[in-house]
Amino acid sequence: MVSPAIALAFLPLLLTLLIRYRYYFVLLYRAVLVRWIRDCLTGMSREERAYQYILTHATPGDSQSILDTFDQWCSKVEFISNIGPKKGKILDRLLVENCPLTVLELGTHCGYSTIRMARSLPIGARIYSVEMDERNAQVAEKIIRLAGFDDDMVELIIRPSDEVIPRLHEDFGVERLDFIFMDHWKRCYLPDLMLLEETGLIGEGTIILADNVIFPGAPNFLRYVRRSGIYELRIHRATLEYIRGIRDGMAELTYIGIK
Amino acid sequence: MEVEDGKEKEFSLYYVKVEADSERGKEKRVQNGKRRRERNGESTSEMGNETVEKKQCRAVRKEGEKHGKRAKRKNTGQDDAEEGSNKDKKNTKNEKTKVSKQEEEQKRDVKKKKKDIKHKDDANHGKSKEPLEGKNKKKQETVFESESKSESDSESTTAFEATDDPPVGLLGSLTPEELEKLKEAVDERKKLIGTLRGKPWPMKKKLTNLRESQEFVEKYEGALGKGKGRRIYAYKVVMMKKWMKFQRDFDNFRTACIPWEMKIKEIESHFGSSVASYFIFLRWMYGINMILFGLTFGLVMVPEALMGRPYGSIPRKTVPREEEANAMNFAVLWDFGVQKPTTIQMFVARRDEDQMKEGFAKYSVLFYGYYNNQRAIGWLKFRMPLSYFLVGVGTVAYSYMVVIRTMARNANEEGGGDDTCFNFSWKTFASWDYLIGNTETADNKFASITTSFKEAIVEEQESRKDDNIHLTRFLRVLANFLVLCCLAGSGYLIYFVVRRSQKFALEGLENYGWWERNEVRLLEPSTVEILWLNEEKNNRNAASFTNTQVNMVMSLLGMFCPMLFDVISGLENYHPRIALQWQLGRIFALFLGNLYTFIIALMDAIQLKRAEEDIVKKNMTIWLANLYNGTVLDNSTAAPITVHPADVPRGPCWETMVGQEFVRLIISDTMTTYITLLIGDFFRAVLVRFLNNCWCWDLEYGFPSYSEFDVSGNVLGLIFNQGMIWMGAFYAPCLPALNLLRLHVSMYLQCWAVMCCNVPQERVFKASGSNNFYMAMLLVILFLSTLPAIYTIVSIPPSFDCGPFSKGFGYVSNPGLVLPFLLLLVLAIYYLQSTSKTYKRVNVELKKKLQAQNEENKKKNKLAALKAANELEQARRARDEPRNSISDPDATQQRSSVDRAGHHRHAGKNGESIRPGPSVSSSQTTTRHTASRGYTPSGHLPGHAHKPQKNLTKR
Repeated sequence: MVSPAIALAFLPLLLTLLIRYRYYFVLLYRAVLVRWIRDCLTGMSREERAYQYILTHATPGDSQSILDTFDQWCSKVEFISNIGPKKGKILDRLLVENCPLTVLELGTHCGYSTIRMARSLPIGARIYSVEMDERNAQVAEKIIRLAGFDDDMVELIIRPSDEVIPRLHEDFGVERLDFIFMDHWKRCYLPDLMLLEETGLIGEGTIILADNVIFPGAPNFLRYVRRSGIYELRIHRATLEYIRGIRDGMAELTYIGIK
Repeated sequence: MEVEDGKEKEFSLYYVKVEADSERGKEKRVQNGKRRRERNGESTSEMGNETVEKKQCRAVRKEGEKHGKRAKRKNTGQDDAEEGSNKDKKNTKNEKTKVSKQEEEQKRDVKKKKKDIKHKDDANHGKSKEPLEGKNKKKQETVFESESKSESDSESTTAFEATDDPPVGLLGSLTPEELEKLKEAVDERKKLIGTLRGKPWPMKKKLTNLRESQEFVEKYEGALGKGKGRRIYAYKVVMMKKWMKFQRDFDNFRTACIPWEMKIKEIESHFGSSVASYFIFLRWMYGINMILFGLTFGLVMVPEALMGRPYGSIPRKTVPREEEANAMNFAVLWDFGVQKPTTIQMFVARRDEDQMKEGFAKYSVLFYGYYNNQRAIGWLKFRMPLSYFLVGVGTVAYSYMVVIRTMARNANEEGGGDDTCFNFSWKTFASWDYLIGNTETADNKFASITTSFKEAIVEEQESRKDDNIHLTRFLRVLANFLVLCCLAGSGYLIYFVVRRSQKFALEGLENYGWWERNEVRLLEPSTVEILWLNEEKNNRNAASFTNTQVNMVMSLLGMFCPMLFDVISGLENYHPRIALQWQLGRIFALFLGNLYTFIIALMDAIQLKRAEEDIVKKNMTIWLANLYNGTVLDNSTAAPITVHPADVPRGPCWETMVGQEFVRLIISDTMTTYITLLIGDFFRAVLVRFLNNCWCWDLEYGFPSYSEFDVSGNVLGLIFNQGMIWMGAFYAPCLPALNLLRLHVSMYLQCWAVMCCNVPQERVFKASGSNNFYMAMLLVILFLSTLPAIYTIVSIPPSFDCGPFSKGFGYVSNPGLVLPFLLLLVLAIYYLQSTSKTYKRVNVELKKKLQAQNEENKKKNKLAALKAANELEQARRARDEPRNSISDPDATQQRSSVDRAGHHRHAGKNGESIRPGPSVSSSQTTTRHTASRGYTPSGHLPGHAHKPQKNLTKR
């Protein structure tokens, strides 16, 4: 029914879409296609492959070297949505400025951000890192230990975040959280935040840093934070890790309490 | 603007009153006044602080009253009678005031001050600035009576006199002191209202302050008013308020009368001025089309409908017999004459049956063919053909006139000149778009200003480094190359489609398979349009060229190519304003290509029709012969042969065909626009909004997002639409009406769509400069669309049996007549263009001159200040010497000159920090009055030297 001429007239549209959303296509290719092919070829999970690469390329005990190797692997070989070097700098700065003693990390994944945080924390600080997936957690543990951080510094909790948060006080004796880093499922940001509020572990001055609030995005979370009025919201605009053209941002919330 | 003004007026009723007589330099004057007041306050500082304050208040009040009065007189033309009575009253009051020494003292000072201010006002009106101090001093020396006399000379002092009256009546219970306090408070409030605008407060505070003060003044001012003078004053105040309120209401009313003003303002506040500029342009276009519509409707369509021969009287005004069956079908009417076969028909019916039928609309005043070639119609002897022709010329001439005039006006506003010199100061002080009222837009604007700063800094650095320029240039060239490729591709595509459809049409459908046939039938219903059905049906292959496929390809390309251009322009890294112009230029080229493809194809179709017409002419004679033969054979008596007009064979009438094509093009264009709007904007917005709750990424911020309003595409759509109207209006008088309808609908629809489903542009920018760019394009399009119209009128002979010119068109089609007309047009445009250019150049030169003068004045002032500082030193030294120097004329002279310079100095203490930029006019007045300085006694120096003078007065 459709003549070739009309089909040709759609060519500019196609080109436009291709050019305008090229970064998304690149992301699709790297994050989905390459991963799938490699999974089939090697029979290992992506995280395990990353661990192998790090094991062969990085210096054990040197956290900077491990991070660099991670970045290299993510930008050259495959894609893992770590926090990345650019946004990582913002994270570093926040930690150095505030010197938190108790840190909760939701979503360890491969341990990249855990290493990053542990590196810039003061002596005596403690990170509770929550990861749901067993295999990822194993890899993460290995990598963290490889970077030279022991159990006192980083406590890895292998359970879903919504189970962990209510029991933080009872199981781990946490009185107050100074810094919370969220990088797990974007859908869980809001319920987890509400859970945290309920437990009362958040006090005045607690900083909550949520990654990827613009892409893939957590609109409900942002909306809630804006409306609630008990947080001071600041959005650090950046690009998505390892891919230049996609805009992303981190939300920095400071709990100011009800006034 | 008007709305804003209105609001401001609401804010500061009194403020406006004060400024009623001079519009310019409002704030400046108020500030000056304040400054002077302060100075005077210092000068009389030996009196108690309280009194000084009181005086200040009074003076301010006086000033306000005076202005109000002046304004009122200006406005209402008040008579002198009242004035006289006021004077009498004043005199009596003057006598009263002599009662106590103390009061007298105060009063005199107050009056002095009053005088002072009055003179300052005069100076502000350009009379004199200098004698202020001089007069002041004179006043101190002159007798009291003379003062009162001079007072009575001056205007409007009643109210003040009345203020000093002992209060009687309603507020009698209050003691005079309390009353005085109350008055002070009221004055204080008034002063606050007057100077509120200049205060460095946040808007909220200003507003609350203003409300409070207004309420207070409202409450107590009336209560204070008692006594005769009071009553008149109160009456005046009330009248003034009423008048102001009326003016405000009238302004609001006027704003409400401007069509869609509020809508546009709202859009402007949400989306910035670039989007609003589109709507303003749309409104302007609507106005022009209104006039065009008035011309065609009033002078062509209505006379023909009322006075011309009725429908069915002659062949050209009758639907032919074979079309009668379908003539009123909606589908036929909808398509303005040409029926599309329905799908069922298409698959079921044999080819012979799905002939194109022509509808009722074709045989109406809407199209050229309906008009009769009668020289004069009706009891008015209305000369229809002439009127038709003149309206055709008139619409084009009017359009030229309006467009060129608007361009000239815009060119004046542009001013030109070296606006890029102060890049950073422009950015700092002038980059905010004050019309933005939406937080999101404001955020965007904020972000864009910061980025523009960053970019400008980077640019500045790079212009010094000068290494990356090659890459930029290469990218720009590459972008243009890509765009050219795209243009060429789209042009070829259209050409290909047109050729293919013509091939189908010419060779008939038998040679093609079912698939192709159906394709053509479905997409090009009018290809199989049969225009003339004679007995043999041998003309079947003569078909109209346009078809839905061509239209569809054209509109699809017109829709998608600009998107591609937009993406490509990302390479170039231009400022958005320049990028917009490039984008406009490119889309312009694209649309122009489309339009001209259309026209060329149309010309082909006209040739076909004309060939057909020749055949018809031949057949006509045969038909007539048959008719006569038949009747002669039947009936021997030579009875007049009556044939129903519907049965008479007729020619194809290419003019009507052209008109129809344009109408169809306009309609399909409109439909495309609206459908795009609905799908691309509305459905997208709905999807994004409601799918966002259950999607794995953020749709609103991320990938599909909401659409932005496409200014360039919409503007060009509008311009080309107008071009088509201009082109086709001669052959289809209904076109302006249709366009009016379209613009009306799209105004509402697009306003709604913008507010409902678009987001503000990421880079909001001011689009003040691009207005003339639109106009220039409009002019080009106007020219390009008149060319083919003139060509068809001049070179192609009109059809023999339809239209007002079917008898012949000799005098118009003579190139000797048309060429000079065209030449005249071009010359006129050239002349206007060159004049406007000259004006522009003069403007620029004037600007430069002003700048130079300003700088010179700055230098001069600096010198003068230095000199003044020196002389101040001298004066100080002189103060230590015996005081008899004051009587010395030389010293006075000197001091006066010191004074002259010192008029800038009051800001800084010792002439160290001199205000840098006094306005040119003030310094001119300064120089002008040096001549009259000689005999005026010198005034006191504001800063230091006034003390001896004070002492002198006391003595």
